[in-house]
Amino acid sequence: MRDEIRKIQGLMEEAQYVTDAPVATSVHLAMSLRKPLLIEGHAGVGKTEVAKVMSRMLHTRLIRLQCYEGLDASTALYEWNYQKQLLHIKLGEKAQRGVDEQEHEIFSEPFLLRRPLLQAITQKDQSPVLLVDEIDRSDEELEAFMLEVFAEWQVTIPEIGTISATYPPHVVLTSNRTRELSDALRRRCLYLWIDYPSYDKELRIVERKVPGLNARLASEVARFMESLRRVRLAKVPGVAETLDWAQALAALHADYLDAELISETLGCVLKDADDMKRFSAEVAKSGLASFLPVQG
Amino acid sequence: MSESPRRAPAAPATEIRSLAAAVVRFAGLLRRHGLPVTLVQVTDAVRALEHLDLGDRNEVYLGLRALFVGRPEDAAVYERCFQEFWRATFELAPELPGLIPVGPSDGGPAPTDAKEREQKRETVALDAWGEDTSDDDGEPLGVPGVSDREALTSQDFSTFSADQLDEVLRLTIQIARRLARRLSHRRRPVRRRGRVDLRRTLRANLTKPELIELRYRERKRRKVRLVLLCDVSGSMDLYSRFLLQFLFALQKVFSQVETFTFSTRLTRITEHLHARSYRQVLRRLTDVRDWSGGTRIGESLAQFNHEWPYMVDRRTIVIVLSDGWDTGDPEVLSAELMRIKRRAGRVIWLNPLLGNASYEPLTRGMVAALPLIDHFAAAHNLASLRELASKLTL
Repeated sequence: MRDEIRKIQGLMEEAQYVTDAPVATSVHLAMSLRKPLLIEGHAGVGKTEVAKVMSRMLHTRLIRLQCYEGLDASTALYEWNYQKQLLHIKLGEKAQRGVDEQEHEIFSEPFLLRRPLLQAITQKDQSPVLLVDEIDRSDEELEAFMLEVFAEWQVTIPEIGTISATYPPHVVLTSNRTRELSDALRRRCLYLWIDYPSYDKELRIVERKVPGLNARLASEVARFMESLRRVRLAKVPGVAETLDWAQALAALHADYLDAELISETLGCVLKDADDMKRFSAEVAKSGLASFLPVQG
Repeated sequence: MSESPRRAPAAPATEIRSLAAAVVRFAGLLRRHGLPVTLVQVTDAVRALEHLDLGDRNEVYLGLRALFVGRPEDAAVYERCFQEFWRATFELAPELPGLIPVGPSDGGPAPTDAKEREQKRETVALDAWGEDTSDDDGEPLGVPGVSDREALTSQDFSTFSADQLDEVLRLTIQIARRLARRLSHRRRPVRRRGRVDLRRTLRANLTKPELIELRYRERKRRKVRLVLLCDVSGSMDLYSRFLLQFLFALQKVFSQVETFTFSTRLTRITEHLHARSYRQVLRRLTDVRDWSGGTRIGESLAQFNHEWPYMVDRRTIVIVLSDGWDTGDPEVLSAELMRIKRRAGRVIWLNPLLGNASYEPLTRGMVAALPLIDHFAAAHNLASLRELASKLTL
């Protein structure tokens, strides 16, 4: 294994992010090839976390663009502060300034609202990490627009001129796959699929993030989650749910899992009435023991 | 693009020095297996090798995967190609990088002529999707052209002969295109004026002392998303094809169309439909057909709910095309359909058998599904497809 990758893995672990070779390799390549990293995976497997950890690792700023349907280029890039411009004109009416002068004034930096993409381009000291979260929620038009920005790292604001980035950002895009992203976008990105964690990885995550939990309970929780994900659920719990649950158990000072404790705290993990029913049916059929590790 | 890279002579492993050339050949192999690998990706891959530990096979595997694989579905293909192409040969040549490419294997037998001809019929119409030939502008919807064609629209698809199908396919697409134009031009009267659009208001009032003329911004109307679940078992296959063609010609009306086929299990074919070769799509349609197993609608819906839980929301219309012959548990079917219904804007079930006057939806599956369906229709001929279009807005 390459030293840089091992180092990244170490740094990520240091930043409280439990990782594995695929994640570390992708992050390493994304940084050294300076390509955007597209991360897909189910909800709650820690996609967004990768970007946060990257910014912590690089000691740089994290700029987040949260996508939603209807997000347009002006909200993502920049907008003039019209209210402020209007007020400025009103206040300056007495001053009898020339049109040119006034125009020059209201279309200048103080009246510019920098949205995340512009912020990412105009960092002065070093490359920030730009997180484009849930890009699958945005429209195709915005996707195409972003591709354009990513290709050149420069934007043109008619009133000011062309701004190009001195420090092009590291880009991380996440998607829940509610919509198929365009091939053009996929081709330009490195791709990483994060699956639900294995038992070992999840155990490490629980141990790392909820240190108050005893070893037995931690392994029981990890095993339970692993088995639970095999049941066909409407909302499969992610790592976020595991951690919520582990924290709840730690707060209750629990030592081990039993039927009562599970039924009391299951709301941390299952968020759907049907899933609760399904789980009880599964327990009735094969017993709770099938969800718990064999005690050795 | 289709020509494969020239096959290198099977050289002994130690003679292959150029890793870059091997990567190029590896990319060719991936391409032949249907992965859309571009030139930029290949050059990036060569660059990436400098940043990877070539003695660590897994690392190279993961690194190249991040570059070449753009979606989880392609991961399995990549895995197979990688295992086939790159062999670890530490013992053989310790001075070489840990990876030695083996000669490219055959990219599968080329499709025979007969097969190609058979597929050609279907692709005639498909190849033209999306491109607007605007010679049919402004014609009223009800008149698809020549009057003897009109007779075709009310005839059940299954009753056409093989050569008639060509004609009907073309007609399907023609009708869909016109419908698309109509649907996308339709404007809803705006009752409330939207928010004031300051950008345009300022522009409009540049020469006036005050902001007199206000400009408004209408809320952007969101398009509807379609999720199609098509039964491709047995006789349903034919109807599925027609529905798919019809809806894909309508494509631009929707924000997105997601397509799945099922018989005993569910397959997502969306990306193949967007994809490069429609021939592949049609092959795929028959690939997933499983004659022995019968149809398991409930199980397939369960798989859909499990694997694509985020795909259905209030702006989504879910269309199931099936005759309702379910060999699975009807309770599973109704439970899973209920889940979809709770999230979807509308659930439409298309059953071509409904076109038959004497048909009654009495199969267990159909009985279980009926109470949960917003719209139940036939889709067995062109006229009914056309009718369906009116149900496709929310």
